[in-house]
Amino acid sequence: MRKTNKMIFISLLVSVGLALSVIESAIPLPIAMPGARLGLSNMVVLVTLVVFGFKDGIKVGMLKSTVLMLVTGSVSSFIYSISGAILSCILMHIAYKYFSKVFSLIGVSIIGAAAHNFAQVSVAVMMLSNTRIYSYLPFLLLISLFSGYFVGLSSTYIVENLKKNFRVLFSRQETI
Amino acid sequence: MTKGDKFLILFIVMLSFLSFAYINRYALSDQERYVSVQVNGQEVKKILYDDQLLGHTIPVESEFGYSLIEIGDMQVRLAEADCPDQICVHQGYVSRIGETIVCLPNKLVIEVKGESGEDYIDIMNY
Repeated sequence: MRKTNKMIFISLLVSVGLALSVIESAIPLPIAMPGARLGLSNMVVLVTLVVFGFKDGIKVGMLKSTVLMLVTGSVSSFIYSISGAILSCILMHIAYKYFSKVFSLIGVSIIGAAAHNFAQVSVAVMMLSNTRIYSYLPFLLLISLFSGYFVGLSSTYIVENLKKNFRVLFSRQETI
Repeated sequence: MTKGDKFLILFIVMLSFLSFAYINRYALSDQERYVSVQVNGQEVKKILYDDQLLGHTIPVESEFGYSLIEIGDMQVRLAEADCPDQICVHQGYVSRIGETIVCLPNKLVIEVKGESGEDYIDIMNY
């Protein structure tokens, strides 16, 4: 795959993630909890990690949060989201690369969701300088289980489909 | 879904429940608790928990009567009182913030209070 192709594909992924982030804010959750989100855009980061590797995965995650800040205009949520994106991307990469025999994509995605929540709560602790916010983490972890499970499940299907229909993505030898 | 996934899910569920139980039991209620001793509505003594105070007794005498407070491990009770009904003595230990021992004949109130209860988070918004 040529360099331009790859660039276009990655920017497409970023825009898909952006659209998912905007759409998911319109989907009501059964439980009203601040900070709990579906995390649909995590799907995009996970797929990028699987298809392109760590470097591009973290690029997509950071670009997504940056552009989302420009779209929604909330800087405080940008700080939460980018810290979550970086930590979850690193942990998902480790889980996918070194423990792919132990975890399927579902497990990797759950790890990512949990790491995302942990980073967010940690940043909130730092910003509000109140360690009691950590008491909120168990609830978020429980919710991240559900969202992580479904995100992992759907990215399994996505990766399967990509392998079938976009074989050019997986032929690494031709990459520059 | 591999075995590792199931194990991970189980692990996170257990982790969140255990830490929730821990937070409920210790971290939130443990903050700077002290015992406020009030006679006739006036706070006469303020007892901060300390390891050296463990098992010690503190007498409280006033014109209404005599009572003996015993400090336990992060808990407090009335060991003796000269009131006729002894309800306060039979109540036993109290430990959680907001719990009280009341002895009406002696006009004595023992209340467990939280030092920094004011900045407790009501709501958070991301």
